[in-house]
Amino acid sequence: METTFLAIAVLFGLGLYIILTHQNLIKIAMGIGVMESAIILLFIIFSYRPGGTAPILDADAQAYDLIVDPIPQALSLTAIVIGAATTALMLALIIKIYNRYNTLYIDEIKKLKG
Amino acid sequence: MRKFASLVVVVILSSLLMMTFLSLSTADYELSEHYINYGVEETKALNLVTAILFDYRAFDTLGEATVVFAVASTIAFLVPKRTASMISARFSIIMQQTTSLVIPFLFIIGAYIIAYGHISPGGGFAGGVILAVITILITVTFGIRYSDRQVRSRIKSFMESFGAMGFVLLGLLGMALGGNFLANANSHFNLGVPGDLISSGIIPHLNVMTGLKVAAGLSIMFNSLIKEE
Repeated sequence: METTFLAIAVLFGLGLYIILTHQNLIKIAMGIGVMESAIILLFIIFSYRPGGTAPILDADAQAYDLIVDPIPQALSLTAIVIGAATTALMLALIIKIYNRYNTLYIDEIKKLKG
Repeated sequence: MRKFASLVVVVILSSLLMMTFLSLSTADYELSEHYINYGVEETKALNLVTAILFDYRAFDTLGEATVVFAVASTIAFLVPKRTASMISARFSIIMQQTTSLVIPFLFIIGAYIIAYGHISPGGGFAGGVILAVITILITVTFGIRYSDRQVRSRIKSFMESFGAMGFVLLGLLGMALGGNFLANANSHFNLGVPGDLISSGIIPHLNVMTGLKVAAGLSIMFNSLIKEE
C-alpha cells in the first residue's frame, strides 16, 4: 500500500517537474498526461480491497463475499474520457501555435510576440 | 537555476502528498455498500459501474458527454478545413487487405460491447472508442480523402448530434413519466429480469446514445487533427 502511494507521489511529481522545466509544448502536454495517470492510479488504489471480485454481479448479489468499490471505477472512467478530450484539444492548439510561430519552444514564442 | 527551483517545489509537493496519503483514515464505505447490496435490485443492471454511470449519476455522465461534444466541435472549428493529407506514405497491398479484413470484426466487437454494457464489462464509452478506431484505421491506411468519402463528415456530425439529443430526450422521458430528470426505476419503466439483453430500463438506450456520440466525436477529432494546410 505504502509503495503504491510512493509511486503515485513520484509520478505526480515527475509530471509537474516536466511541466515546470521543459520548453517544448508537446513535452508539456505529455507531462499533463503523466499527472493524469497518477490520479487514475490513486482511484484504483482507493477502490482496491484485497481478495475482492470485480463489480459485475450475478442475479443474486449475496453470492460474493467481497466486491471492490465500484464508485472510483466510474469516476476514473470519467477521468480517462475527459483526459483524452483535453489532450486532443491541447494538441490542436499546439498545431495552431506551430502554424503561426513556426516553433514549439516557449521562449522563442515569447520573443516572437515581443 | 530554474531546474533547481522546480526540483525543490516538486519535492516539497510530493512529500506533502505522501504525508496526506499516509495520514488518511479508513474511508467510509457506506455509499458503496449500498450500491453493492441494492444496486442490482434497484437498477436490474449486473454491471455496477454502468449502473452508477447511467443510473445513479447519469447527470454526471451527461456533463461528461457534453465535454466530448464541445471538444470535437472546437477542434473541427480550430484546425484548417483544407484536406491535404499529412500521411502520404503508400502502404503495401498486404496492409490494405488486412485492414479491410479486420474492419467487420471491429464493428462487431464495438457493437457487442455497447449493447451488452449493462451485463458484461464495457459500455458506451469503451465500445464507442472501438467504433472510432475503424475510421482511424481507414484514415491511416487509405488516406484522409478516401476516409472522408466513405464516412462523410455530415453523417458523423449527424451521429454526434443524434447521440446528444437522444440522451437528453431519454432524460426528459423520465420527467414525462413522473420521475426526475434521467430517472430510471422511479418513472415506472418495466425494468425486466437482470441478465436479459432488454432489461434495466433506459440504461441500454443511454449506452447506445453515448456509444454513437463517442464514436462520432473521436473520429471527427482524429480526422481534424490529421489535416494540415
